[in-house]
Amino acid sequence: MSGVTEAAEALERRIDELRTAVRQAVSAGDTERARALRAELRRVENEWDLALDDIAEQQAEKAAAPARPSAPLLPLREQVHQALVLLGAPAAPKLIIAVHEAFQVGEMVPARLTSLRRDEERSFRSAPNSRPYYLCPALTHDLLAPARGLLAVSTWPMERRIVGPLSPRVDFLTSAIRLAEHVGRLPNPSPAALRLLWRFAANIPDAAAGVDGMTPSSVATAARAELDIHTDADRSHREAAAKRAKRQLDDVQQLFGNVLRDVGAAAQ
Amino acid sequence: MQNDTDSRLRRVRGPVQPKRHNARTIAALTSNPGCARRGVCDAAGVDKDALAGRVGFPARFGQSQFAITRGNAFEAQVKANGCAELLTLLREVLHLDITEVGYTDLEEAGGNDSQDVRHAYSRRTLLAAAAGRDDAGTLFDHPLLRMDVAGNGVYLEPDLIAFQYAGIFHVIEIKSFAVIDGQADGGKVASAAIQSAVYVQALRTLLGSDDAVSSDIVLVCPKDFSNKPCATKVDVRKQLIVLQHQLNRLARIDALLDALPAGVTLDLAKDDAGQPVLSRAELVQALGCIEARYSPECLASCELAFFCRDEASGQTAALGKSVREELGGVETVATALGLAAGSLLPSDEQAEITALLRAASRIYRESVAAA
Repeated sequence: MSGVTEAAEALERRIDELRTAVRQAVSAGDTERARALRAELRRVENEWDLALDDIAEQQAEKAAAPARPSAPLLPLREQVHQALVLLGAPAAPKLIIAVHEAFQVGEMVPARLTSLRRDEERSFRSAPNSRPYYLCPALTHDLLAPARGLLAVSTWPMERRIVGPLSPRVDFLTSAIRLAEHVGRLPNPSPAALRLLWRFAANIPDAAAGVDGMTPSSVATAARAELDIHTDADRSHREAAAKRAKRQLDDVQQLFGNVLRDVGAAAQ
Repeated sequence: MQNDTDSRLRRVRGPVQPKRHNARTIAALTSNPGCARRGVCDAAGVDKDALAGRVGFPARFGQSQFAITRGNAFEAQVKANGCAELLTLLREVLHLDITEVGYTDLEEAGGNDSQDVRHAYSRRTLLAAAAGRDDAGTLFDHPLLRMDVAGNGVYLEPDLIAFQYAGIFHVIEIKSFAVIDGQADGGKVASAAIQSAVYVQALRTLLGSDDAVSSDIVLVCPKDFSNKPCATKVDVRKQLIVLQHQLNRLARIDALLDALPAGVTLDLAKDDAGQPVLSRAELVQALGCIEARYSPECLASCELAFFCRDEASGQTAALGKSVREELGGVETVATALGLAAGSLLPSDEQAEITALLRAASRIYRESVAAA
């Protein structure tokens, strides 16, 4: 038995004695002695509380020691990064959360995703390129401005981070292919993962007749077939815009976009 | 002349900012075109909600928060992932070509969401698309349109998508009321149609051509009891005619203003001490000078409806359009009852309706007695 526990037991015995003494003093009508004994009782009870905290701390240390390696909670930005790398294209927070929940443990809070982009920009501005990657917005092809609600990874080539008119569809199909390949690699895909894949498959022509008959390979094949139709036109938009971005924007703007401030620029 | 009208409207409104219109209020204009009170208030940009509160009839009015949240969630679902669900629908229902997948988000112009900038950006993008320049795009999300209402430019903040196919734009309206077994609530479809007609009109104005925008709109609603969307084409030609008529009428507001006594004002301003300039009695009196045409439908679309209903109580018109038409020439409920009971003698023009009323009264008495 540890010393902390022994000390707590001694305090408990002392508390019992004091309680008996207080009761005897009160029955005897000795108010002064009763008051002094009560003050003493309160002091000992506080000590006992502190002793309990010590015991709790010891127990927590014991419990935490073996559990530590089994629950590595990644920071939010790492989780978002993983989801984006899996999708391989700029994605909306809702999709990122869906991907996270399908393949990872733990919950992702939507509200924290909103502030993430701002935090990343602040971090980049204060110490540029000090992190291996940054989470940044996708950029619109015409104004090279941050695209509303689309997150990307800074290490991707510029043309992948740009969204042109065809890009939402191209990115949807690209993500569908990557998801299908990932699900195909898993020995036992979870129901959440299959549900996510079905949400893509349902909106790709000839991908699957129903949830039950869906196979990852057929989804990927159908998505590739449609992707072939759009990919050339989309690439030419993206590459042209990327060239422009590299020429016109400074380092911070290349990652976080060019924000329009005056009316004249938009009305041209 | 225009300046004269403007200054008269400004006098009616008082020295406060005019209230802005939106698609809902413009659509509401068409529901009771005969109401001069509504016409004057809307043309002058009077804050009817505040006015109703001041005259003692605060309106329990507006969309419920639950309805708004549900509507937004459904819209976000349909538009998610580059409008994936919407494209599937358009391909199935309207046989949209598989190459047509362009999507342009006009909700924000380069991180700037001021209305002027957004409108300029929408205008430039849509005009470029109409001119058929390459990579024109197919879907345009949240364009900010502008419409002239009673001489004032009004920005319309639609949740619609304009969608260009074979050189013609279609308006897509996403609504969260369900289409069950192919049937939807008639009233809701009608109000969606009139709102869409406002957007069609605004889009035609922007493109400068009536042929460029189809009078068929695409209504997207949840199917049956699921969250799965379905699309239907709705013809809004009739709504467009009504709308144009009402907008022209607002432009001819002079005739309505001429009928008002001089010096009528609905000034809601407060003086430096925070006290209202006009008392409640003065506002009620001023409202009384402007003729209203209350009908029960007003309750769904006008902030002042509760005031007008109270004012019209005892009038046959307050019982609805069909009653008003049947009882032409009989102004009040008391007169109608008197004529039916025989305690009032009908004038010549009331003879026919009196015969009808007495017959109705007799049938009612007999059936009550039999029961």
